[in-house]
This record gives sequence, C-alpha cells and structure tokens, in this order.
Amino acid sequence: VAKATPPANLTSGNAQKLQEGTCKLQKLLEMNGHMQVPHSYDFDLIVIGGGSGGLAAAKEAAKYDKKVMVLDFVTPTPLGTSWGLGGTCVNVGCIPKKLMHQAALLGQALQDSRKFGWQFTEEVKHNWMAMTESVQNYIGSLNWGYRVALREKKVTYENAYGEFVRPHTVKATNKRGIEKLYTAKRFLIATGERPRYLGIPGDKEYCISSDDLFSLPYCPGKTLVVGASYVALECAGFLAGLGLDVTVMVRSILLRGFDQDIANKIGEYMEEHGINFIKQFVPIKVEQIEEGTPGRLKVTAQSTVGDQIIEGEYNTVLLAIGRDACTRKIGLDKVGVKINEKTGKIPVNDEEQTNVPYIYAIGDILQDKLELTPVAIQAGRLLVQRLYAGATIKCDYVNVPTTVFTPLEYGACGYSEESAVEKFGEENIEVYHSYFWPLEWTVPSRDNNKCYAKIICNIQDNERVIGFHVLGPNAGEVTQGFAAAIKCGMTKAQLDNTIGIHPVCAEIFTTLSVTKRSG
Amino acid sequence: MGWEEKRVHGYGEFAETAQRCHGRPIFALFCGDKDAAGRSWCPDCVTAEPIVRKELHNMPDGSVFIYCLVGDRAYWKDPNNEFRKNLKLTGVPTLLKYGTPQKLVEEECFKAELVRMLFTED
Repeated sequence: VAKATPPANLTSGNAQKLQEGTCKLQKLLEMNGHMQVPHSYDFDLIVIGGGSGGLAAAKEAAKYDKKVMVLDFVTPTPLGTSWGLGGTCVNVGCIPKKLMHQAALLGQALQDSRKFGWQFTEEVKHNWMAMTESVQNYIGSLNWGYRVALREKKVTYENAYGEFVRPHTVKATNKRGIEKLYTAKRFLIATGERPRYLGIPGDKEYCISSDDLFSLPYCPGKTLVVGASYVALECAGFLAGLGLDVTVMVRSILLRGFDQDIANKIGEYMEEHGINFIKQFVPIKVEQIEEGTPGRLKVTAQSTVGDQIIEGEYNTVLLAIGRDACTRKIGLDKVGVKINEKTGKIPVNDEEQTNVPYIYAIGDILQDKLELTPVAIQAGRLLVQRLYAGATIKCDYVNVPTTVFTPLEYGACGYSEESAVEKFGEENIEVYHSYFWPLEWTVPSRDNNKCYAKIICNIQDNERVIGFHVLGPNAGEVTQGFAAAIKCGMTKAQLDNTIGIHPVCAEIFTTLSVTKRSG
Repeated sequence: MGWEEKRVHGYGEFAETAQRCHGRPIFALFCGDKDAAGRSWCPDCVTAEPIVRKELHNMPDGSVFIYCLVGDRAYWKDPNNEFRKNLKLTGVPTLLKYGTPQKLVEEECFKAELVRMLFTED
C-alpha cells in the first residue's frame, strides 16, 4: 500500500478520511496476510437461503436502507421435485401440510354433517389431483408474492446456489451453471434442512419424502410412512383422513422430545381410527414390483428387538425419519465457521453469531433451538434490528408454543411432564388434568374420552404454570392465547380465577381440579 | 419470432382468445373501457398502459399479449361480473400471466421493474 501522504488538493476533512482509510486497509492486509481486500463490499448483507428466516431478515434489513441480497436455490429431490421462493414452510412444510390436514378434517366433517341433518345420497369421495392443484396454486401465489415484496423493497434476489469461497465472498451458481462472485460485510446463513434418507437399497429410487408429497402428480394410494416424527404422523394422519390405506413403521417411540404421555394418546387415537402401526421395525430394502403412478413397491423390514423379517406391498413409501441441516456443502470450511460435525448444526451465541464474527445463522440449522417458522422469523428480525437499528432485544427461545396437526391435534407450551420432573423433581410439580368431550362431537357420537387437557405447575413458585398441553380440535387456536399467559407468568390461581367461555373446549382449563398425584 | 398483440373487449372475447392461444405464454392487461374520445374511466389504467407497453419486448418469443377492455365502470363495480368470478380479478388495471398465480394489480403495474419481472420470470 502506498504511503499515507494525501495529495495536496484534497480538503483537510477528506485528507483525514483518506489517511484513516489507508491505515485501516493496512491493518486488514496485515490480518489477512496480504490477501486482496476490497475497499467496499457489493452488499451490506448477503442472506443464503430464502425461507422463513432468510426472507424475514432480508426484508427487515431493507427497511434500514441496507443493500441486501438473497440467494435461494432448491436442489431437486432424487425424484426431481423442486419449488419456488419461500423455503420449506411455504412450499413443502407448514402451509401445504395444514391445507391437506384441513382437507382431511373436512372429510370427517362431511360424515358428521349427516347427524346434523345434512342429507346427500352419493357417497363422498376424495380427488387427490383437485386438492393438490388448489394447494399448489396457493403456494404459487405466495412464491410470487415474495418475489414482488423483495423487488419492491429493493432486495436483490437471485435463484442461485450460494457457497463461501473465501472470507467475505460467496459464489452464486444458477441453474444453468453460471457462476458469479459477490462480497458482503456480513452474511446470514439460513439454509434450513432437507429430509434424510435411510441409506438402504431402493430408498432414493423408489421412496418419496415430504419434499415430494405435497406436489405429487398422482394419488399415493396405499402408503407406508416410515418414521415417528411429527412429519410422519401428520402426513399419515391426513392421508388416512383422505381415505387411503396407511401404515406407519416406527423404530422405537413416537414423537421423540414431546410429552410421551400425550404422544402415546396421539398414537392410540390414530390406531383406533384406521391407521396401522408396525412397531419396532426398520426397512432394510425397497424394491419395485411394478412401475406406475403410483407403482407397486415391496418393502422388507427387520425387527429392532429380534431376528424377525417382514415384507409388505405398498403403492408409495414416504420417508419421514428426520431432517439434515444444509451446512455441509456451502463452503463453511473456507471461512472457518464451526459446525457440529455429527449433526451438521451450527452453534451460535445468544445473538445468533457463529464463531466468525461477521457470519450469523438462523432457523432450523441452529443447534439446540426449536425448528419452527415463527422462531426463525423472530430471530431474523431481532438480529437485523440489533445490527442496523441499535436494538438490544435478543430472541426469547423459552416457552415457544407449538402444535402438531395429527388427526387429534396437540398444542403445547412449556415443559413436557418428563422434562418438568427432571428439572424440578416430581414432588415439586403438580399436574392437573382432565379428559373432555367437545360439544360438536356429541351429536355425531364421536369419542368422548380422547380429548385431554393437562397443565404442569411449579409448586415452589406459586404454582406457576410451566407446562400447557391440549389434545383436541383446534389445538393451535386454543394454545396461542395460553402461550401469552404463560409468558406473563400465569399461576394456577390466576387460571382458576379466569372465567371460562361456554361452550368451548378451552374452558376446561379454567376448571381443572383433579391432579395426577391424587391418583 | 417476437410476440403478438390481440385486442379484445369483454369476458367472452377474452376467454375465446386465450383458448385459441393455448400452449403459448399468454400475458393479459385488463383496463377500463375508453369513451369515444379515447378516455378511460379508470385513471390508474391510463397511467399503467404506457409503462406496460414499454416492457413488452421482454416477453419470451412466441408470447401473446392480450389487451382486454373489461367494460364500463358500472359493469366493473358489479361484484358478480365475469372477470371477478372467473379470473378472480380484484382491480383494474391488472396485468397477469395467464394460467399462473403471477399478477400485478393497480399501483404494482406502475413499477417498470415489477412489470419486467412478470414478463421474464419462469
């Protein structure tokens, strides 16, 4: 670098700036071993991943007039499925899942309706293509909406695969293989996850995942769902609700990480409502008997507790055994970002910063954080506000409410029973519970002993409600309000003092009196 | 090969023309009718039209651009008119790519960048 003596014709202010700038440049060159360091970057922020977290952060940064780029690219599934801008939630997650769950609920409602006096002579049948077309059309309008929103907010978007090539630099490769380099002062990794495969013969050739299911151009027919995750149970649930023959193959327990008392009730309900469960087996081979849309597949499975081998024939095999973070092929080694080698997840501090100060991460790829859209969105927005608007608020990952949209829906906030026992000790928690019968289920004679409410209270802290669990219709709607109450530190006494709304399912929570302790 | 424009008036003519052009990329701009002196009852349509026309060269080869006058103001205000019912149009001007959820409505049509994006997006 030339010596820092400014030319004579600069004003003193500019001369000073030039001097300071050159000194900074010298320091940077020393730090980076005399590599090429740009005087200015192409962007203030480059976001890798245009999903829930990435888009929320990008739009927020644009509000503060930052120059932002979003790189989003979907690597097609083994079967060739791909989708537009918006990430997992919009395209192959929450949105299509909830719509198809609704389709299944409507089927049930049609059955119930006869008892309420509706008369129709034809049997009711479901058309997979008609449903999928409507769902995909809606998703298409969301993809387009995001394109328009980014353009209007002046966020640069490229449909290209982003990977780090050296500090402060990413390479973006579009679907035609054309590569471009971009630099930025800061980066946000929000690349999310993709479904895991089993690693057995025939898995990638013949099995589908949730990435393929929601746009499948033919009815899946008789389906084997492999897995016990909420993805597996939700998909099995709505497929059965649409009238398909569904079997779920489970290696060990259902809904690992969720309250197991409730998880078992969910499983029982599904079994009683026509879904077959094969427990303690894992597939070891998938073969094609006949091609077609759908074709016929033969699945061979092995017991996890003995030598038994079983075989079954299905039209479709849906793998839902877990999701893996997309962090292994984005050049993180080139910039020194540490990941958990075993899980692929990225550890961050409480400000979503990786071990490299100018690189941040949000969403499903984070280690030890809940994999939920609203969490990613909140984390993304708050991060950007801290970076560019002088804010100090950090994302609160405690008491995040969730809902599992199985045929019997499950809403939860706070501790599961087992984690409350582990943290506070069984003698220090009080569990109040009750079954309930939704009024809407009485007339059509639906189950009177399946819907269930449970709260967990901390005896040593004024019986503060630390866990909320509801199993029943509209669980998500019921849980949202209680999540706010829990955030305010609601106690059992305050809950009891709240007058119920009648006749609704949620009112049960205002009259809970029976404890598990009382037997 | 370029692109070609077709001018239609009313829903019937629009539907027939779109049918005939099936298989080609179809873009359509819906505007309010013009009176004998060439003035539209829809001021936003007056603003949008030249902006849209300036970007037409961005459409892929073989495209059809349908310029559709929807009817008079009274017809348009009727919540049950065929455009609202069948095409789910909510306002004029509307610029859309037929057969896809991609569309720009009212002031969105004033932005050349968005119009260009609609014509070039795949």
